[in-house]
Amino acid sequence: MNNRHSIIGVILLSLLVAGCAGTQSRNTDPENDPWEGYNRKVFAFNTALDKVVRPIAVGYDKITPDPVQRGVGNFFRNLDAPVTYANLVLQGKFKQSIATMFRFLVNSTIGLAGFFDVATKMGIPYYNEDLGQTMATWGYEDSRYLMIPFLGPSTFRDGTGRLVDSFLDPVTRRVYGSNRWGLYIVRGIDARARYLDQDAELNEAYDPYVLMRDVWIQNREFQIYDGDPPMTDYDLYLEDDLDAEEPATTGGQ
Amino acid sequence: MKFRIPVVLAIASIFSSTLFAQSQAGDPVWLVENITGKIFADVTENLDEYTANPELLEELVRNDLMPLLDINYSARLILGRAGRGLGQEKIDAFADSMSNLLIDRYSKGLLQFSSNIKLNVLPQRGDLNEKLTRVRTRVTLPEGGEAPVDYAFHKTPEGWKAFDVVVEGISYVTTYRNQIMPEVQADGIDSVIERLNTGQMQLAD
Repeated sequence: MNNRHSIIGVILLSLLVAGCAGTQSRNTDPENDPWEGYNRKVFAFNTALDKVVRPIAVGYDKITPDPVQRGVGNFFRNLDAPVTYANLVLQGKFKQSIATMFRFLVNSTIGLAGFFDVATKMGIPYYNEDLGQTMATWGYEDSRYLMIPFLGPSTFRDGTGRLVDSFLDPVTRRVYGSNRWGLYIVRGIDARARYLDQDAELNEAYDPYVLMRDVWIQNREFQIYDGDPPMTDYDLYLEDDLDAEEPATTGGQ
Repeated sequence: MKFRIPVVLAIASIFSSTLFAQSQAGDPVWLVENITGKIFADVTENLDEYTANPELLEELVRNDLMPLLDINYSARLILGRAGRGLGQEKIDAFADSMSNLLIDRYSKGLLQFSSNIKLNVLPQRGDLNEKLTRVRTRVTLPEGGEAPVDYAFHKTPEGWKAFDVVVEGISYVTTYRNQIMPEVQADGIDSVIERLNTGQMQLAD
């Protein structure tokens, strides 16, 4: 979602609240989550909000035939292509950036405004990049976890990146035009519908907040490393020494 | 959770397993190719029989897949410091409950998907060392797209064994660990084992 206005508010809010948050769970591994107290409150807020959003997503999922749903997903994904392009350039991945631009041109035209992913059928690879990932490859590797109201899990780095990406994205702004609120909502519902299968698992988890955080952080790492992250340091898991597993004080903002 | 799969990785799957026949019997790549490949083929061929008699499939998984895994090691990693001071028999009981759940879930997954999924084992790169390595695979999904699934292996006195599965970057060991450790510390290992035995273990796939 590129919900510009609410994101600004959210980031500002996060900065303000950050100062007074700090309940730390000592029973899990040291994810970089010094704002856990605040994050848990936002998680509770989002969970409450989901009581309204989920039924809509369920309905959407039911009445929308799979091919249409795929088309909607393709459409929004195609709109992200210019941002991906810019970030590939920023990361020095020029070959991939050209493929992405080509993909955007093909899908926007032959693919009927992006509803059909013709590019994939032509063998043009898909890349997923954004400013958060770019900053990570530039060396801003460790960022504290940040739960964003309405939008869900993120980090301080990735939330900021998302904000800047949405400002600098000319295509989405142009395309959405005066209908953008409607499209934001459709995009949100479509995105929500993709996670319906996981609801039971999340709800039945011992600690849903921690499950969502761990899953999100690990998958994000996977994206940042383009699918090839370094192997987990399993030896650390066997260490008995509590001090060695305390949250690193050097954890980034 | 269902995440967007970086399609860039799909390119790598061109290197299908058959091109890499030089893997040696017993090494991790060989184990993944042969054991899981064999199970997939068996289930695809006898799908009707296994659907009618799920316990036969569980037997197959128990006999063919489980020897490939080091569940006791996974259990120790998952329990971490929560396992400190627990007797070996408690850790074994915990590992057993996990095995049973794994067999149950894996069998059900096989019945649902085996005829539609295809497994590609990526070529081993530099990350094979003497004690620890990972095997990277791509599973082609029925509705198109691919899921990257990696297996972490370590060398035991009985040979290479897998102890973690990583799907789209999400490690089962890491993710279970952060759920189980606090639960054991709060409720005790016995209550956790009991809950696992009643089949309530849940985790994002």
